[in-house]
Amino acid sequence: MNAAENIEKVIKKFYAIKKSSVRTSMEMDEKVLDDAMLAYENNMKTKKSDLKPNLWRTIMKNRMTQMAAAAVILIAVLYMLIGKMGPTTWAIEQSIEALRDYSGVYMAGTVMDEYGTQKGCELWMRANKSLTSSKDTIIRVDNGVIQWVEDGSTYTYVPQNNTVYYENAVIAGMSQWPGPTLLELFAFSESTETIRGINPATGHEQVTLLSSFIDAHGTKSYSITFDAKTKLPVELVEWNNLDRRGAPAFHIRQITYYEDLPDSIFKVEYPTNANRVEKELTIPESSVGLLGDPQDGISAEGLSRQEAVELLLRQVYQAVMNEDFDRLRKLCPTIATVSDEFLRYLMQSEKPELRTEEIVEIGPIFKEGHSKIGPIVAVPCIIRTRGGTLREDKMIVQFRNIGGKSSCVFHGPYGMPHEIE
Amino acid sequence: MFEDRLLVWKLKYGNTDALRRIYEKYKDDLLALAITLTRDKASAEDVVHDVFVSFAELAGDLKLKTNLKGYLLTSIANRVRNLKVREQRFTTLNTADINESVSDTPEKPAISAEESRRIRNAMLVLPYEQREVIILHLHSCLKFKTIADSQGVSINTVQSRYRYGLNKLQTILNGEVRK
Repeated sequence: MNAAENIEKVIKKFYAIKKSSVRTSMEMDEKVLDDAMLAYENNMKTKKSDLKPNLWRTIMKNRMTQMAAAAVILIAVLYMLIGKMGPTTWAIEQSIEALRDYSGVYMAGTVMDEYGTQKGCELWMRANKSLTSSKDTIIRVDNGVIQWVEDGSTYTYVPQNNTVYYENAVIAGMSQWPGPTLLELFAFSESTETIRGINPATGHEQVTLLSSFIDAHGTKSYSITFDAKTKLPVELVEWNNLDRRGAPAFHIRQITYYEDLPDSIFKVEYPTNANRVEKELTIPESSVGLLGDPQDGISAEGLSRQEAVELLLRQVYQAVMNEDFDRLRKLCPTIATVSDEFLRYLMQSEKPELRTEEIVEIGPIFKEGHSKIGPIVAVPCIIRTRGGTLREDKMIVQFRNIGGKSSCVFHGPYGMPHEIE
Repeated sequence: MFEDRLLVWKLKYGNTDALRRIYEKYKDDLLALAITLTRDKASAEDVVHDVFVSFAELAGDLKLKTNLKGYLLTSIANRVRNLKVREQRFTTLNTADINESVSDTPEKPAISAEESRRIRNAMLVLPYEQREVIILHLHSCLKFKTIADSQGVSINTVQSRYRYGLNKLQTILNGEVRK
């Protein structure tokens, strides 16, 4: 051992002895905890009083905000994928391999606002550690609207009214990273068609996959074009219907892949005097009709909302872990038409270490809203995966009162899962 | 780590038990560091109080770039440094405070009282920046990267301060450390 190591060792031992004998006094504990609790509770109260849902409703009529919302693409709640499944006619394995090492992506193209006007936009995304979904996302529309995801929440800054709209869920980005898993899902869909051709600009052969989905935002159809040489996706088009009719809602003409991206790309600056408005909790009207069957869900008689939500969600996770799909459909009627085969495929397509191992905690209801059939609530859940990582899922539960009896059903996730790193 | 991530998550949803648990879990470490840096028990208690109350104020919006313990310990160090800049009182060698702060901590025979005294005095000769890095690294087991991030300096600067500090200690102790 050299002298420097020796002195390090001595100093370390000196401090270890000192540390072991330091204890706070009861008086100090009482004072610190009383003051800290007061500060904490005041802060939480202030946060709650900041909510202005009516203002959000008004603002959502603003075309700028709607356009930014339109840029929230490809949040494919994949268990709602439709169509019978089978192998595609195009071997996609090489594309899957080509995408395996990229955790950053840049996309540029156009997004359509509610008046049918195309606006230029660019999008940067960075994957989570497991490469299962985007973690950081920033979308810049050419009129100055910026939407970004930070620490599990989504923010939209609209310069025209100097306001940041936010919601405590990840609603921008991709719930399947544009990597191997997403392509495997496309490959598995029988509704996927394949078209081969030549790009006249580059002379390269290209392959286009066409597919249709229903996700949390309604009907969607997609066209993804791959460069046959590099095997990488080079163009992406999304329509808000099942048959690729009319002008696309989103059209990406340029895609660049990166092994990683720096933090600075995801930094957003906006005026410190900007208003902050929280979005209210809603569910698509198209799915409300599926949630009203009294045979579905669980009884909430005699239970508080929190108790009912915990009971329901524990049963949902248990059904997922047991692959008990009949039970899952009863608890979550929005997947009533999805086949066992596809549900099983979705669960097994996850890497084993990412599958749910344990429900660590079902948190408190943090947000409430209303659909046509009754109150809806959002609840955070912490899940431990088999690989030991923690994942936060935010879930939406619908309460009903049918024939004088209270019950609840699981609507689906509120945004995308969020890895807690 | 697992428990800490869960506690921070609970804080975001208004769980006061989580705040209490965090305090109970780290209070002694925080106080020990504060005493070592300030060399005054009363000041150290004030520092821990102020840091933890500030932490509670921000807890609902907490965005940790490091682990929770590291965050709290570097908050203590930052608070002491700010006080030092404001009051310039900790640069003064104050053996009365030192003795007072350790008077209720009888040392075990692993290091003799004489050796402890020599180390304490040698530490006090170091410039504050060097002493702070040595304390954060060897007392609180913080990584150089965490220290650098919390101080807004490069990791090279932190490592240099550490090396210079240790060299100086070695010179001061001048072979008194048993090899």
